[in-house]
Amino acid sequence: MSTKYAWAVIALFLAGCSQSAPPPATKPAPTPSKLEGMWSDPPPTAVGTFCFFACTDAGIERLNALLDDPANDKKPYGELRAAADKYQSENYLRPKLTDAALKTYPLDPADDPGFLRCEPWGLAKQMFAPHQLEIRRAADDRIELRYGEWEAVRTVYLDGRTRPANEPSTRLGHSVGRFEGETLVVETAGVAAGITWWDAQHSDQLRVVERFTRSDDGTTLNLTATIEDPWSLREPVVTKKIWRWAPNQKITPYDSCEPATEFKKGTREP
Amino acid sequence: MRTRALLVALSIVVLTAAHARAHHAFSPVYDAKRTIVVEGVVKQFRFVNPHAMLLMDVTDKKTGTVVTWNVEFAGRLNLEEAGWTVESIKVGEHVKVTGNPAWKSDQRMAFVKLERADGTTLQPGNAQRASAIEEERRQRAQQRSQQK
Repeated sequence: MSTKYAWAVIALFLAGCSQSAPPPATKPAPTPSKLEGMWSDPPPTAVGTFCFFACTDAGIERLNALLDDPANDKKPYGELRAAADKYQSENYLRPKLTDAALKTYPLDPADDPGFLRCEPWGLAKQMFAPHQLEIRRAADDRIELRYGEWEAVRTVYLDGRTRPANEPSTRLGHSVGRFEGETLVVETAGVAAGITWWDAQHSDQLRVVERFTRSDDGTTLNLTATIEDPWSLREPVVTKKIWRWAPNQKITPYDSCEPATEFKKGTREP
Repeated sequence: MRTRALLVALSIVVLTAAHARAHHAFSPVYDAKRTIVVEGVVKQFRFVNPHAMLLMDVTDKKTGTVVTWNVEFAGRLNLEEAGWTVESIKVGEHVKVTGNPAWKSDQRMAFVKLERADGTTLQPGNAQRASAIEEERRQRAQQRSQQK
């Protein structure tokens, strides 16, 4: 072998080595989802305000029908909102409740554990909490949902894990998720018995599928949640919720709750 | 114009109740169908969650006795959305507060409106929301009449 040929072989060998043993690569950060960032109260529209807490398609349709009726033009919005809310409760929610849930529906607001004892909400109310919702990728395999109300934090695992069979139920349950295009789909089970946003009791058999999407113009975050619970519901309840993009909002400490001492039972919000 | 102002005012009252239930319902504590007006001097303003609180010293004009009133607001989370800060209400200032009285306490109310000595007012964030909704309703009515 000539010296020239030997050097060529060595050069090729070294080049091959450099290709086969690249420097340790850091795993690329996941592309941020369009959902990430700070969201807060809905746009100041008639429907947005109706869905300030949560709403249903039945309620939205009723509200729009009332707003489009010229006979209602002089009536205050609050009256129409209350009428649509009542329609939603009586014609959409109540028929879906089992006899077990109907025994206490609607619950007296004075029996709310959050009001009486400052107990944070369970999932069936917390996921519709008003005010801030911050969505952040906490790690490659998980997203965090941080709420202003109660400073609650939910972790959504994206690595395909399943809930351990012996894991006890918790207030906010165990959530796993996936992206379908730009839609974040979150499935939650293992939720301790509690209270729904429509003021009914639910059992620990509650299961929820949430679908989060951002509007085409980027200004709103829309949630459609399908809620099932064989103990309290004859069929699933589908709930809607809207947040507005609010990058300047922040979550402030939730540390001054005082249990109620002077109150009256048997009242309802107007 | 007067009708419009009345509609907005009524909307604010109902929106206040609806928004107040963010943390819990106000109805077990306050009578949303009645409003009262109380004047006094700010003793403390706690800009906190889940509900901001104002302590106000109120002097009985006949007897001179001073009693402390407690005014409950929506939470800081809610008020900041409307641009409120911890400086929005200052200790020592004279204020006139409109609110819903408590069912079971003589010196307690839920906030509806605050008027300062210089005539400026503080309203809940949903005052802006109520105005926007009334504007939306006017536009809907206009479109409806144009389609006829």
